Amino acid sequence: MALIEVKDLNFSYDENTHAVKDVTFSIEKGLYCTIVGHNGSGKSTVAKLLAGLLEKKSGSILIDGYELNEENLKVIRNKIGIVFQNPDNQFIGSTVRDDIAFGLENHCVKQEDMDELIETFAARVNMTKFLDAEPLKLSGGQKQRVAIAGVLAMHPEILIFDEATSMLDPQGKDEIKRVIRDLHKEKDLTILSITHDIEEVAKSDYVLVLDEGKLIMEGTPASIFKNEQKLTDTNLDIPYAMKLKKALEEKGVLVNPHITMEGLVKELCQLRLKK
Amino acid sequence: MGNFTLGRYLPLDSPIHKLDPRAKIMAMLFTLVAIFIPAGWIGYGIIFVVVSIVIIRAKLSFRFIWKSMKPMLIMMIFLLIMNILVLRSGDVLVSIFGFDIYTQAILQTLYIVVRLLLMVMITTCLTATTKPLDMTLGIEDLLKPFEKIHVPAHEIAMLISIALRFIPDLIDETTRIMKAQESRGVDLKEGKIKERIMAILSLIVPLFVSAFQRAEDLANAMEARGYAPGEPRTRYKVLKMTGKDWFFVGCSILLLIGMIVLMRFKV
Amino acid sequence: MSITFEKVSHIYSEGTPYEHLALNEVDLEIQEGKMSAIIGETGSGKSTLVQHLNALLLPSKGKLHILERTIEAGTQPKGLKSLRGDVGLVFQFPEYQLFEETVLKDVAFGPKNFGVSEQDAIEKARKAIHMVGLDSSFEEKSPLELSGGQKRRVAIAGILAMDPKVLVLDEPTAGLDPLGTIQMMELFKELNTKYGKTVLIVTHDMEQVYRYCDRVIVMKEGKVHIHTTVEDFFHDSKACKEMKILPPSMIQMCDLLRENGFAIPEGIHHTSELAEVIASQVVKHG
Repeated sequence: MALIEVKDLNFSYDENTHAVKDVTFSIEKGLYCTIVGHNGSGKSTVAKLLAGLLEKKSGSILIDGYELNEENLKVIRNKIGIVFQNPDNQFIGSTVRDDIAFGLENHCVKQEDMDELIETFAARVNMTKFLDAEPLKLSGGQKQRVAIAGVLAMHPEILIFDEATSMLDPQGKDEIKRVIRDLHKEKDLTILSITHDIEEVAKSDYVLVLDEGKLIMEGTPASIFKNEQKLTDTNLDIPYAMKLKKALEEKGVLVNPHITMEGLVKELCQLRLKK
Repeated sequence: MGNFTLGRYLPLDSPIHKLDPRAKIMAMLFTLVAIFIPAGWIGYGIIFVVVSIVIIRAKLSFRFIWKSMKPMLIMMIFLLIMNILVLRSGDVLVSIFGFDIYTQAILQTLYIVVRLLLMVMITTCLTATTKPLDMTLGIEDLLKPFEKIHVPAHEIAMLISIALRFIPDLIDETTRIMKAQESRGVDLKEGKIKERIMAILSLIVPLFVSAFQRAEDLANAMEARGYAPGEPRTRYKVLKMTGKDWFFVGCSILLLIGMIVLMRFKV
Repeated sequence: MSITFEKVSHIYSEGTPYEHLALNEVDLEIQEGKMSAIIGETGSGKSTLVQHLNALLLPSKGKLHILERTIEAGTQPKGLKSLRGDVGLVFQFPEYQLFEETVLKDVAFGPKNFGVSEQDAIEKARKAIHMVGLDSSFEEKSPLELSGGQKRRVAIAGILAMDPKVLVLDEPTAGLDPLGTIQMMELFKELNTKYGKTVLIVTHDMEQVYRYCDRVIVMKEGKVHIHTTVEDFFHDSKACKEMKILPPSMIQMCDLLRENGFAIPEGIHHTSELAEVIASQVVKHG
């Protein structure tokens, strides 16, 4: 059984519109999964439904075998950590230390164990130096790192990033992407990242594509990008290597689909040698 | 923003800073009560000296205290004038533009002003030496006994600490929206009444919209990290009263008793 | 009649412990009729720079010439209000400045502040709403009903309705999805080419700079570090690498191809051109 099993999930904010419509998917443990779709496609709603922050209208969500319902809510919340988009609005404590402690307090961790835990998790996101800093003194990227530490302290099995890098500058984006990648590698974490960053999608293990609340495609990045027409029809970006492939085709050069530039260049080199 | 000192925490290293917030809050309350005991000028003198000692021990400058009084000044002057003109007891001192000014009125008004000034001094002592978070912890602990009569001590403390946490963010947001509207030709300083109302609306409506957004985000973030109001949780920061703290509270109680004695003597 | 900065410095909270030199003797001339990008790290002074353009901030030192007006440090400049009409400044996340009940009323708010009559303000608002690509069905909607991208368009229309000669935008595509970003940039390009507005965009997105802008102004530590044409700036990825920013994908691709022995000439601007060059160097299938 997969770690996350979603079946016929439906949700709507009001009577007339479906924010999420008959969505079914499953995600195996340990995968780095990305969710794409343009704004308003229902990506964030799916994330909030998974984390139990919204109540589904119908369908079922199974996390690690537990059905997401009133009764299991607490168990499931402990399994899922979620990092949101806005770095300012999820910083609860008045210092980095207090912010990481907030979640520990909620989980009734013994007071004498807290300092050690706070330091461990701050170290994991490289924020040890800033433990006593106030949020005003931190950059967006640093605040998001604190948010990740705060979530990690809950020992989740699944980490959801709801456009966690979209409000950051390039440097902040890089920092966070690196932290996420490292976490995925080192710990046995399952990552669910909602993103517009096509390069991040290309490097992920599994992709879900949402459009108007419906799951329109899922699979490995390679298989998703193969269906380029469908992606462009739903106004989604494709990696540059795919764009160039298309342009090459128009000039009569046929190459295999590649997600990364390196892959495409490698094949072009072989084609050049043949000439 | 840089000139705003009322209620601001000053990160200094002093014995007063190190005191338990509960001790400071209790001492403040006792002293505030002491101020309202009519113990005459000698009483106020004693309180002033005691508070001054605390200010010096806390390494606060009197200029800082004075600055935090400034926002109150206009109010005080207004009070002063109103009182002097309205109160009619004692002897007529002078008569200006047909208004009689009475000696008793001046005296009473001065009492009020002195009380207000002392109040500002004392509260500034507390806020300048106590981190906002410690303050909320202190309030929470002090309110604990009242939980039996359904005072939500923890929720009140959480509310205050979140409010304190977001004040700087909201100030930033306000400046940003002000600048954005100024770029649309809004003049916040002058204009006809109708224009001024529009100008204020153009500031307040966006502030509310963004505050609601913030509140929603924050609620999600708190819930996602396992916060549920009313459920048991542990505390990272635990307060401990030491001998010094009790001594400090004791002093304030003595001050209060002193004032009561003084009042008795006068009568 | 352009915009020039002469040794402009800006110091925040001067004379306090929080004193901060945000602009350090900036000399800059912004060409009229062009679309320029202002790039640089967070804290490099970009936002401070653009807020001088409509006198929200005044120089601590130095002198500015903006469309026939001179603003000099230490003097109280006159005609600030008319300057704010001539230089339209759009802040980051401008959707947060909407406050009226209807889109039309909100867009007309700007011109009304400049003393335009109700009738004319509505007229200007209608035109501006059309300019940002929204049809007239939006006029009577509440701004709160709109999607994020639409709100942002309305906010930009609110500035355009003042009929500014210069349009300054602080990270106008932040938080938008890829399609929203492209539509927004197309809009600015159109305002630039079709309506002749001078456009200045503060951004981090090199892809957009490369695709839409004419000139690049690089801010670094409160100074103008580089000011050049987009062609020269993206000549190769050196300038980007020096600033630790990711160059546009096409430049990355060109570099990668060169490293692997392909002969890629300079001055390629379109993917189709690049494909052409590659096609001439490899064996074609089929």
